[in-house]
Amino acid sequence: MGKVVEISPTTRHEGRSKLVLQVDDEGIITVGNWISVTPVRGLEKAVLGKPMEQVPKLLSRVCGICPVAHALAAVEAIETSIGVEIPADAHTLRVILHCANRLNNHALSNIFTLPDLYIPGTDRKINLFSPEEPMRSIARRIQRIREIAQGITEIAGGEAIHPTNTRIGGMYYNITSRAKQKLTDLAKEAVDIVKTQMDFMIAVLRNFQRRDWTEIGGRQIPIPRNLGYHSEGYLATDSLYGTSSRTSVQSWDPDHLREIRPWNFYMGEVTIDLEDSTYPIGGTTAAGTVVHPKREATNAIPLYNGRPVEVGPRARMALYQGFNEKGTIGQQVARQMEYMTDVHEILNRLDTLNTSGKVLTDPIPPGDGKTLAWATTEPARGTNVHFVRVREGKVADYSMIVPTTWNFPVCSKALSGAPWQLAEVIIRGYDPCVSCATHMIVLDPDKNVVAQNLIR
Amino acid sequence: MNVLGKYKSVVSARSTDKEILKASQDGGIVTSLFAYALEQGIIDGAVLAGPSSRPWQPQPFVATTRAELLKARGTKYNICPQISMLKEATRSYGLDKVGIVGVPCQIQATRKAQLYPIGMRDVPDKIALVVGIYCMEVFPYKGMQLIVEDHAGQKLQSVKKMEIGKGKFTVITERGNVTQLPLKVTHKYEQPGCHVCLDYVANTADVSTGSVGSPDGWSTVFVRSRIGEDVWGKAMAAGCFETKPIDQVKPGLEMVTKLATEKITKNQKTVDERAHFGVGKALRNPYI
Repeated sequence: MGKVVEISPTTRHEGRSKLVLQVDDEGIITVGNWISVTPVRGLEKAVLGKPMEQVPKLLSRVCGICPVAHALAAVEAIETSIGVEIPADAHTLRVILHCANRLNNHALSNIFTLPDLYIPGTDRKINLFSPEEPMRSIARRIQRIREIAQGITEIAGGEAIHPTNTRIGGMYYNITSRAKQKLTDLAKEAVDIVKTQMDFMIAVLRNFQRRDWTEIGGRQIPIPRNLGYHSEGYLATDSLYGTSSRTSVQSWDPDHLREIRPWNFYMGEVTIDLEDSTYPIGGTTAAGTVVHPKREATNAIPLYNGRPVEVGPRARMALYQGFNEKGTIGQQVARQMEYMTDVHEILNRLDTLNTSGKVLTDPIPPGDGKTLAWATTEPARGTNVHFVRVREGKVADYSMIVPTTWNFPVCSKALSGAPWQLAEVIIRGYDPCVSCATHMIVLDPDKNVVAQNLIR
Repeated sequence: MNVLGKYKSVVSARSTDKEILKASQDGGIVTSLFAYALEQGIIDGAVLAGPSSRPWQPQPFVATTRAELLKARGTKYNICPQISMLKEATRSYGLDKVGIVGVPCQIQATRKAQLYPIGMRDVPDKIALVVGIYCMEVFPYKGMQLIVEDHAGQKLQSVKKMEIGKGKFTVITERGNVTQLPLKVTHKYEQPGCHVCLDYVANTADVSTGSVGSPDGWSTVFVRSRIGEDVWGKAMAAGCFETKPIDQVKPGLEMVTKLATEKITKNQKTVDERAHFGVGKALRNPYI
C-alpha cells in the first residue's frame, strides 16, 4: 500500500506551487501531482473591452520575470487579429528583445538549479552565496550575463522589466546608431562569458548524471538513470522567436488543442500519511493533513492531440535540431545550449538592423472581430500562445496558454519512477514560472458561468 | 536666508569660442561647457532645449555632437520638458553619461529622480553633469505668443532674440527691429506653477549660470558641486572661458542676491496663501 507525501511550497522557482506525491514502500513516486496554488489574477478577463493599445502593457504584468514574452505575444496576436504587418526593423528589435530576455531567464534558471548540483570530484553542493571560490566567480558570471541581458532589454525595449517600447504596429522608437554599437559591445562581451557558463553548466550537469546518489535532508538518495523521463510529446512552434495565425505554413495546429480542467486530471481528496521533517526548508507537510489537489489547483491542463506535451528548450531542440536526450539532465543541457543561440542571434540581428529605418506601421486598422487570431512566442520556458479577437479597437476575447501551463501535466507524469525527494529536482528542470500559469477563474456553478474555453 | 544656495566659487565668465558666442544668449557658458565635456568624454550627450516645428517653441532633444549642441544656443522663455527625455537618453540613445540643462525646477526634478528613481530605473548613475540656469518664471507657449505678437506687435517667425533684463522684455527681430515692453505687462502670462518656486539660481545643479550680475555678453557662474568644480576647472585650464572676479564686475553679486530674494519672498507669499486655501472648498483653477 502506497503513501502520500506533500512538498508545499516547492522552492527555487518563480511562483507558488506544490507537489502531492503517491509513493510506494521504497519511496518511489507512483503518481505525481504538481499543481499551481498561486492565487488567480484573472488578467484575461480584466483585458476584455480594453483598448487594444493598452492590452500588451497590461498583459506584460502577468509576470515580472518574462514580461517581454507576454508583451511580445500580446502585440503579435493583436496585430494578427487586426491584420497589420510591422516594418522589418521593428521585428528585428523585437527579436533582439526576445533573445535578451531568454538569455536573462536561462541565467536565472542556473541560479535555481546550481544548488542541486555538485562540484565535480567532490561531495560538495554548489552554494552560490558562498564567498569561496569557485562559487563567487560562478555567481559573478551569472549576474554579469543577467546584467548584460537586462542592459540589452533596456535599450531595445525601453525598460528592463515591462518593456515600454513595444506597441501595436511595431515599436515606438528605433534605437540610435550609438545605442546599436552599445548593444553590439554588450553582446560581444556576452559571447565569451556565456560560452564559459554553458561549458561549466554542462560539465556539472554531466557530473550529476554520473553520480549514484545525491544528499537531500542528510540522506543519500539514489539517482535513477531515467530521472525525469516521460513518454509524452513535445511542442515548439519555432526554433527561435514564434509564429502566428497569419503565416501560410503553420508549425502547429490550434485545432488539435484542448484545454481541460484540473478536476479531470489531478487526484481527489487524500490524506497525507508520509512525513519527513528532515526534508530541506522545514520538512514536508504534517501527516494527517487532508489535501485536495483537483480543487486546489489554479492551473488549466492543455492537451495537444489529446496528450500533455512538453514545451521549452528541449522541445525546441528536439523538434528543430534533432536533440534526443531525455530526462531532466537532457532538458537542462538543452537549456544551456540555447545560450549560444541567443547571443549569436542578437549579434546577427544587430547586423541587419537599420537604425534609420521605420519601426511603426501606418495606418493601424481597428479590427473587425471576425477571426480569432493567435500568436506564439518561444521564450525561455517554452511555447507561449495568446489568442485574441479585436473588434473596433477593443479586445473582445482573450486567452493565453503559457509555457508552464503546458508543462504542469507533462511534468506530473515525468515524476513517476523517481524517489520523491528528487521531485523538486525534476520540476526545476522545467524552469517553472508558476504565476503566469495561473489562469483559472472558477466561479460558483450555481450562480455564475464557469470559465469558458475559447478553444475546445 | 541663503538665497544663492551652497557654492564653491562664483565668477563672471564668457566663452572664448566665437562660433558659440555668435548665437548665445549671454556668455555662451552652457553650450561651451557641454561642448568641452562632450569633447573630453565627460558626457556622451546632453538633454537640451532645441528648436521644434513651431517658432520659438523649444522641444527637448538629445545632442551627441557639437553641431547638435549649437542648435540649442540661446534662451527660449517658455516651457520645455527636458526631464521627459532623460530616461530615453539612456535607452534608445544608448548614453552612459548624460548631461542635462534646465531651470531650477527641472534640476530639482533631476536630483529627485536620482534620489528616488521611481520610473527612472538605471538612470541615476548615468547623470554626469547637471547645469542649471537662473529662472524667475517661464511663459506657456500661448502666453509667449501673446506677448510677442499682440503686445510687441512682431511675428514670432521674425524674432531673432528675446531678452529679459533691466525691467524690460526685449524682442529683437531679424531685420533689427527692437521692441521693448515693461516687464509688468508680461506678468499675467506667467505660468502660475512658477509662483511657488523658491529657487532662483538652481541651487542643486553642479554648475549654475545666468546673465544676472554680469555685464552684457557675460554670465555669472556658480560652481556648486565636486563634479561641477572638476569639470569647470578642467574647462578653465583648457581655455574654454575667460573670467573676471565677480567683485570686480558691475552690477555684481548684489544684483543676483536682490533678484533671488525678490523671487523667493514673492513666491513664499503664494506658498503661504496656498496653505490656507481651506478645506472643503474647491481650488481655484489657476489657468482661468
